[in-house]
Amino acid sequence: MKVTIKSWTGVATWRWIANDENCGICRMSFESTCPECALPGDDCPLVWGVCSHCFHMHCIVKWLNLQPLNKQCPMCRQSWKFNVH
Amino acid sequence: MRQATGKRDRDIFEEVWPDKRRIVLKLLRQDTVSQREWQDLFFGVHFVCLWDEKGAAKIYDCLQQDIVEFIVQAQSQVQAQRGEQALLATYIVEWRKFFTQSNYLPLPFRQLEQSPQVKPSTSGSSSSASASVSASGASTSAAAAAASGSSCIGQAGKSGASTSSAAGASTSAAAAAAASTSASTSSAAAAAAASGSGSSSTSSSKKNPTEDSPVRKLMLDSWNKHIFHDIKHRLQESAMKIVHAERNGDAYDAQLVVGVRESYVNLSSNAEDKLEIYRENFEMAYLKATAEFYRLKSAEQQQENGVLAYMKYADSKLREEEVRAKRYLEPSSFSILTYTLVKVLIVDHLNSIIAECPALIRDYETERLNLMFRLMDRVLHGVGVEAMMGDLQRHIMSAGLADMLSASEVITQDSEKYVERLLELFNKFSDLVRNAFNDDPRFLTARDIAFKTVVNDTSVFKMELPTSIANRGVKYTAPESKCPELLANYCDMLLRRTPLSKRLTSEQIDARLRDVLLVLKYVNNKDVFMRYHKVHLTRRLILGTSADSEKEEDIVEWLREVGMPADYVNRLARMFQDIKVSEDLNTQFRTSISRHDAINIKILNAGAWARCSERVSVSLPIELEDYIPDVEEFYKKKHSGRKLQWYHHMSNGTITFVNNFGRYDLDVTTFQMAVLFAWNQRQHDKISYENLRLATELPDPELRRTLWSLVAFPKIKKQILLMEPATISSPKDFAENTMFYINQEFAIVKNGKSQRRGKLNLIGRLQLSTERSQQEDNQSIVQLRILRTQEAIIKIMKVRKRMNNAALQGELIDILKNMFLPSKKMIKEQLEWLIEHKYMRRDDDDINMFIYVA
Repeated sequence: MKVTIKSWTGVATWRWIANDENCGICRMSFESTCPECALPGDDCPLVWGVCSHCFHMHCIVKWLNLQPLNKQCPMCRQSWKFNVH
Repeated sequence: MRQATGKRDRDIFEEVWPDKRRIVLKLLRQDTVSQREWQDLFFGVHFVCLWDEKGAAKIYDCLQQDIVEFIVQAQSQVQAQRGEQALLATYIVEWRKFFTQSNYLPLPFRQLEQSPQVKPSTSGSSSSASASVSASGASTSAAAAAASGSSCIGQAGKSGASTSSAAGASTSAAAAAAASTSASTSSAAAAAAASGSGSSSTSSSKKNPTEDSPVRKLMLDSWNKHIFHDIKHRLQESAMKIVHAERNGDAYDAQLVVGVRESYVNLSSNAEDKLEIYRENFEMAYLKATAEFYRLKSAEQQQENGVLAYMKYADSKLREEEVRAKRYLEPSSFSILTYTLVKVLIVDHLNSIIAECPALIRDYETERLNLMFRLMDRVLHGVGVEAMMGDLQRHIMSAGLADMLSASEVITQDSEKYVERLLELFNKFSDLVRNAFNDDPRFLTARDIAFKTVVNDTSVFKMELPTSIANRGVKYTAPESKCPELLANYCDMLLRRTPLSKRLTSEQIDARLRDVLLVLKYVNNKDVFMRYHKVHLTRRLILGTSADSEKEEDIVEWLREVGMPADYVNRLARMFQDIKVSEDLNTQFRTSISRHDAINIKILNAGAWARCSERVSVSLPIELEDYIPDVEEFYKKKHSGRKLQWYHHMSNGTITFVNNFGRYDLDVTTFQMAVLFAWNQRQHDKISYENLRLATELPDPELRRTLWSLVAFPKIKKQILLMEPATISSPKDFAENTMFYINQEFAIVKNGKSQRRGKLNLIGRLQLSTERSQQEDNQSIVQLRILRTQEAIIKIMKVRKRMNNAALQGELIDILKNMFLPSKKMIKEQLEWLIEHKYMRRDDDDINMFIYVA
């Protein structure tokens, strides 16, 4: 008797790798969404700053739009730059 | 000037009138009047009015005498008749003659209309007319202006009247003539007067031009007073006798009845309500006679022929009487006549007719029901219709439930049979509503209410839902219909590759899916359907067992159309998106590693899919174990900031199993794969349960379940694994030292013959949840309901700020009804919870008033 694998379908879900449980702006869990969204995941993505802090994209964009002059990270007050991997 | 005319008063009238009077008498008698005489009459009237200040009144008085005299003659002729028919006939002949004359005779006397002495006489009595003569000493200038104005109108009227009587020219021609005459006189006042009369003649051209003439009024009033008043009861009675004879099918002369009615209508002198006399006499008599006739007849008919035949009788008589009314009555009487008939023919027999309804519905007597419906629909306030609706509703409910109960053995086991039976029932009753009640909205509502009851009934089968999570220990359960679950199962059978979906054409499947949605409309707890539908969809997408992927997406849109909550439908759409994204990802992954094209990955958006339980660890076969890091690495490159979590209880694959007998492709779960790989190095060994657990690292419940699926897979002749002792009858009975070994004789058996090659699916129903019992499943439904209820309450209160209990419950049910019907108890509990947690509070003065606390 011999068993060999002909094909295999692996199922997985994905999670964010964040340095915190909750978004520092809306205080909602990263696994959940920002207050405006209904469906977590691709529809409500996370973004990282060069300072390594991470937020719901919708939250940080809203925050940045509210800052008149220097756009800073709300956590560490360094000037905010998106970390593009 | 006044003196001069005053002196010649008597002379002019006495001189001119006796001659003209002969013409009047001729006209009354309908003797031939030459054109010249006709014109003379116009001239005479005009002449007397012009030169004799009181001429108008004199002519009027004289005319009245002549008319009355003529009428008295006619009356004696009529009264001389003995028989009823003869009386009617004579009356009508005389009346017609007189009535025709009443259209012509006033024409020459239109001058009188201008006279203030004649005009105000509304009662038609000569005394008031003569009284007004002395009162009105008309000023000369006004009289002269009126005279000069009216002279040309008089001529125009004369020429118009003579042509219409002789050559039959239209009134518009007369108006044109009047206009041209006035133009030739070129006086401003005359032009104004002429244009006034012209416009009045055109505006009243539809009506009889002499309609409001005082002379005509005089004629009709006199007729009314001197002849009609005396014999109207006899006339009326005779007419009713004719109608009665007609109803009994005897010979009759309809014209006589019509004549009587016409004289009633035309004799009215009340300008505001022309039908007054008609209504108070003829109409009333007609209604009374009708009611009496049918009161007798209907009782007789019902007794002789029974209620069913009586309905036919009533229907035909209603129609017959409507036709008859068109002949004999004025249009204004139709509605009251119908009302009277309905009262006598239907309302008085309402109960005995309605009593037949349940039996007719039971026997599907659509024609008779239709007849009954048409009869009842005529009854005001819908009393009869309501009773019928009640009968229909009760019948559908009891028949539907009885049908379900009688077939409960089959349908509780087989969702296909259940749904088909249900649909058959629905179609039957929908047909009934269509054929018997013409799809009347009221009956459709009754049908819907009954369907709802049938669908949500819990007597055939139910699922027990705990009423609240808090009381987990206490066994509070609220039974709910299993219908939504069975609907979802049926949907799955249609959408999955199954014998059923293979048997049907694409159109048939579409039609059945539509049917499912139709039934779903009546289901109270749609959230249960959604939940099961999603679980089934998850299985189909993960295992790739959809019969038709286009249909899968169609039904998502259909669910949106029937009003399923948007976020639920969006999640379903998201699932399809994930599968598509995964396919692209797969292609990229295979080109990137080029080693193994047998590996597929499905990466899911955790929030969109059926909620999975905690992950289960398993020791994968080494071949697979190697690929896991590759996949993870690949994914990391694609999507930074994300990491994968494997859901091996959903993973699956195909293995090739080779033994002494043959070679088989088996579809297995990853857990089954892990178990079977334990024998790869020691094919003939017997391995104990304990060792298998060590090898696979599966948690105990998963291992038991997986092993059971390999030693006792339903519906196959030869199992792939064998166990020792072979007598174990349940996975719970596996002990640490129960031994398992490969069945070397394993083969796929088809038609009683073992095959050397073949394909077999050992996955069965993919376990989405690991070790979760039905009870826990149901609890999660309830938990979701609680959250949704809280959410909806807050949503409402946020907008309303203050709201009383009843209004809040109404809005709450409105919001939630597309998902489930919240029970009163649950609403109350959630309100308490929200108050306790300070989301809202009760008003200090009114315990039923809630206030939102921001």
